[in-house]
Amino acid sequence: MVIRSFLLACLPAFLTPVLFGQTDEPTVYVSVFSTKLFVVGAANPQTGMFYQKPSEDTAWHHTGAKNIRANALAVFPGVNGRIRYTASGNGLHRTRDGGQSWKITTGWRITELWAVALDRTDSMNVYIGTAYGIYKSTDMGDTWKQVFTGFVSCVIVDRFDPSILYAATEIGLYKSTDRGETWKRTGLSIDRTRTVTQHPKDPLTLLAGTENHGIYASSDGGKTWEKREAGIDHPTFYTIAYDSRDPSIVYAGGYATGVYRSTDGGISWKRTCQGFEVEHIHSLAVDPVNPSRVYAGTMGAGVYRSDDKGKTWRAVGLPGAQVGRIVIER
Amino acid sequence: MKPLLFAALSLLLGACTVQDDPVFDARSTRLLEVVSAENEVNPYVIAAKVRTGKDLEGACLLLDSLTRDRSIGGMFYAYSLIGAYLFTRDELPDSLHAKVRQAFRDRTMYRGDTENHWVMYYTGLYLAAQTWPGEGRDAWFNGKSSEENFQEAAEWLGHWMTMSATIGQGEFDSPTYITTFLTPMIVLHEFAEDHVMKKRARMMLDLLFADFAAEHLEGNYGGGHSRDYPEDIINPLGAPSTMWAWLYFGKPEFAQWEEARYRPRNRGGWETAFGALGSYRLPSMIRSMATDRSEPYVHTETKRVRNIIRLGSEKNPPVYKYTYVTSDYILGSLHGGILQPIQQHTWDVTYVSAKPNNTIFTLHPYSSGKELAMFFPEEIKFLADEVDRYHLVYTSPDKWNSSSPYERTFQYRNTLIVLYNIEKGEIQPHIDGFFPKNLDERVQSEGWILCRAGRVYVALRPVRRGEWIEENVNWRWRSRHLKNGVIVEVGSEQEDGSWENFRASLRSTQLDTSVFNSALSVSYRNRHGIDMRFSFDGIRMLNEKLIHLEDYGFFDGPFIQSERGSGRITLRYGDQSRTLDFNTAEIIE
Repeated sequence: MVIRSFLLACLPAFLTPVLFGQTDEPTVYVSVFSTKLFVVGAANPQTGMFYQKPSEDTAWHHTGAKNIRANALAVFPGVNGRIRYTASGNGLHRTRDGGQSWKITTGWRITELWAVALDRTDSMNVYIGTAYGIYKSTDMGDTWKQVFTGFVSCVIVDRFDPSILYAATEIGLYKSTDRGETWKRTGLSIDRTRTVTQHPKDPLTLLAGTENHGIYASSDGGKTWEKREAGIDHPTFYTIAYDSRDPSIVYAGGYATGVYRSTDGGISWKRTCQGFEVEHIHSLAVDPVNPSRVYAGTMGAGVYRSDDKGKTWRAVGLPGAQVGRIVIER
Repeated sequence: MKPLLFAALSLLLGACTVQDDPVFDARSTRLLEVVSAENEVNPYVIAAKVRTGKDLEGACLLLDSLTRDRSIGGMFYAYSLIGAYLFTRDELPDSLHAKVRQAFRDRTMYRGDTENHWVMYYTGLYLAAQTWPGEGRDAWFNGKSSEENFQEAAEWLGHWMTMSATIGQGEFDSPTYITTFLTPMIVLHEFAEDHVMKKRARMMLDLLFADFAAEHLEGNYGGGHSRDYPEDIINPLGAPSTMWAWLYFGKPEFAQWEEARYRPRNRGGWETAFGALGSYRLPSMIRSMATDRSEPYVHTETKRVRNIIRLGSEKNPPVYKYTYVTSDYILGSLHGGILQPIQQHTWDVTYVSAKPNNTIFTLHPYSSGKELAMFFPEEIKFLADEVDRYHLVYTSPDKWNSSSPYERTFQYRNTLIVLYNIEKGEIQPHIDGFFPKNLDERVQSEGWILCRAGRVYVALRPVRRGEWIEENVNWRWRSRHLKNGVIVEVGSEQEDGSWENFRASLRSTQLDTSVFNSALSVSYRNRHGIDMRFSFDGIRMLNEKLIHLEDYGFFDGPFIQSERGSGRITLRYGDQSRTLDFNTAEIIE
C-alpha cells in the first residue's frame, strides 16, 4: 500500500484522472467536530468526516469512524480522494483506499489533534498540529516525530516549495524551511495566531488570522507583516481562503464575522452575512472548478454555500454541526 | 540472597492479604440482590443477574440490547461492556459472544479528553485485545490489530499508574469520578492475564482506596476535590463515593439506595456491583484507616493540575492539599486558584450528621472561556457555552462548584483563612457561602456567623458583610465586595466541651485587617493562640514562620507517607505498614 501511494504521488498529474476516474465535479469534504447535541460518552449524533458532490446540494455522506470529534481533515490531491486523513480526539484517522478502510495511525502519545497538512509532492510526508505541538511523519503516519512544542491551530505546506511550512500557534506564527525539522518565529508580533494561508500564485504572500487582533498580511514570506483593517469590524479570524483562479478575491471568517470578502487581494474587505443562521465561521473553501461557489463551515449551523462569490448564502446541510474544516478536491 | 528472600516473602505476604471479609461479603451479597433485581440496560445489572443466577434470560436480553443500542458509546461503554462480558461469558450463548465481539469492530470507542476517560478507554481496549488476540486490523474499530491495541493500552495504563504514584492524579479525590477509576481498575485486576498488570491494578486499587480512606468520615469524602457535581458538593453522602465507602469501608451504616435523601443522582450507577463480583479485597488496614477516628490528625497531599495546554507556563503545576480529620468533622482545603476546570471544590467543612446537606463552604463562582481554554483545545470563545451544555451550571452566578483565580486558602488544623480578590469587571462580582437550612443553630454575633450542627460547631467571620438569601435546602450567604475574606473556626463537643465554650473561645481570637485594603493581607490569632498571617499574593506565616507549600510530601499524615516522585507509597495503621512500590510493582508488608 505504501509503495502504491508513493507511486501515486510520483505519477504525472495528467495520468491520475485516467487511472482514478476523476470527473469534472469536485468532491467537498468537511470535518464535523461537534453538534449541538454532542455529549462525551453519551448518546451522540455523528461527527467525523462527511463528503458530497456539489450537485448533491444538501445531501452528505458520512465516511470513516463516527463519534470522533473531527477537528480537521486533509485530502491528498489528484488521486480522487483515495488518501484522506481526519484529525480527531482519538488521533489521526487515515484511509488509503477511498474510505473503505480506516486506521488510527497515532498512539497514546499524540492527542488533541487540531490540524493536518500534506506535502502535495510526496504523499509520504504528513504533518499534524496538536494541543501539544507539531508532529511529522515521513511514512504516511505510521511513525511520528515531534518537531515543535506548543498549541498549534493550523499547519500549511508551501505549495511551491514543500520544504517550507507555516504554523499558526498560541505562541506566534512560525515557519520551517527544512520540512518541519526546525521552526523559527516569523516577524508577526501577535502571539495567538489561528490560521495562515498562502497566495495560490505568489509564494511569498501570506495572510494570517488571529485571536482578537484581526488579519495580517505578509508579502515577503513572513518576515514583515502589516495589519489589514480596511472594512474589518471583527477581531477574531479562524479561516482565510483564496480564490485559486483569481487570487485578488479572498474570503475570511471567524467569530461572529459572517464572511468577509476582498476583491483586492486582502487589502480591503466587505462583510456579508446574508442568509446565515449563525455568523461564526470556522472554515471556508472556494470551489477550484467553479469559483463562484464558496463553502462556509459554521460553528453550530452546519455548512453554507454561496453560488455568487460570497454575496448571498444558504444552508446546504449538516444542521447543528460545528464544522472544523472544508476541503474541496477533484 | 537475603534481599531476594525478603522480596519473595513480601510477595507471598502481599498475596496473603486477600482474606475473608465478613463485612464486605455481607454487603456485596446485599448489593447484588438489589442490582440483579433491576431491569436497566446496564452492564452492571447484566453481570449481577448472570452471576447471581437469578435471571439469565433477562440478562441476555439486556446484553443483546446493550450491543445493539447505538446511542450508547465511547469510553464508558468500552470498559463496562468488556467487564460485563468477562464476568459472564461462561454463561452466555454463542450469539451474544459474537455480538459483544462485533461491538469492538463496528462501534467507535471514543477515547475522550479527560484522565478518567482514558482510564476507561484503555482498560476496555486492553481487555478486549487480550480477549481476542491475534486478530487483524480489519477486526477492530480503530484499524489496529489486537497486538497493536494491546501494546498501546498496556503502555498508557502503565504510564498513568506511574504518574498517579509519583506526581498524583489530575482528577484527584473526586467523590464523583472516583467511580471511573475504581471500576476499571477492579475489572483490570480481575481479568488481566499479565501478572504484572494485574498486580499494578491491585496496587492502584489500594492507592485509590487509601487516598479516599485518609479523608473519609462515615461515608463522606471530605476536604477539597478536583472535580465534583454541585448536587454532591451540597449533599456529600449523595456522591457515588458513598457507595464505595459503604461496600469497602462498611460506612455509612445505611444502604445509600434505601435512603431517599441520599439517593445518588442516576447516571447509570451500580458500578460497585463489579466490586461485589470481583476478587479484590480491601486490605483490612485501609478499612481501619478509613474508620478509626480515635485521634484527630492532619493529612497533607500534593496532587497535580490537569494538563495545561495553553495560557500557562507549566504543564502540571502541583496542587497542595491540607485536611484536618476528627471523629465529628473534616475541614479541608486546596490552596486555591485554578487547579481544575469547571468542577473544582476548594474547601469545606463536612460533618457527621443524620441530616443531609451536612457541609458548609464558600466560593467565588468563576467562569471564563480562558479558564477552559487552559485545559481544552476547542475554540476559546465557544468553550463556556459548550461546557454549559454538559454541566448545565458552568456560567451560573449561583453555582456551587468553581475554580477561581481570585480565591486562596491557608489552613492550620481546624482554622482556615480564605481570601478573595475579584478583579474589577469580573462577570460574577460576588462570593457565596453554603449554609444548610437544617443546622440546629445559625446566628450572627460579634462579627461571626455561628453554626451548630449537632455536636459540631462552625464559625465563619467574613472580613466584609454579606446578605442572606433563602433557597430550597440552604441559606446562601452572598457578599458583593470584590476584596473579601473568611476566617473559619471549627470545633466540636468533644474538642470544646460545649457550644457555649466554643462561642466563648472565639472571643480570644484577634483579627487584624489593617492592611487588608492595601495589601489584601490579614493577621489572625486563633482560638488556640496560634498566629496566622496570610496574604493573597501567597505569603503564609504560622507563628511568624514562613510556610512553604512545596515542603508538603506527596502524602504526609499518620496513615500515608510518600515523597513526591518516589513512586513508593507507604500505608500505616498501628504497627502495620504496607508499601506500594510502583517502581518494582511490589507490595511490601
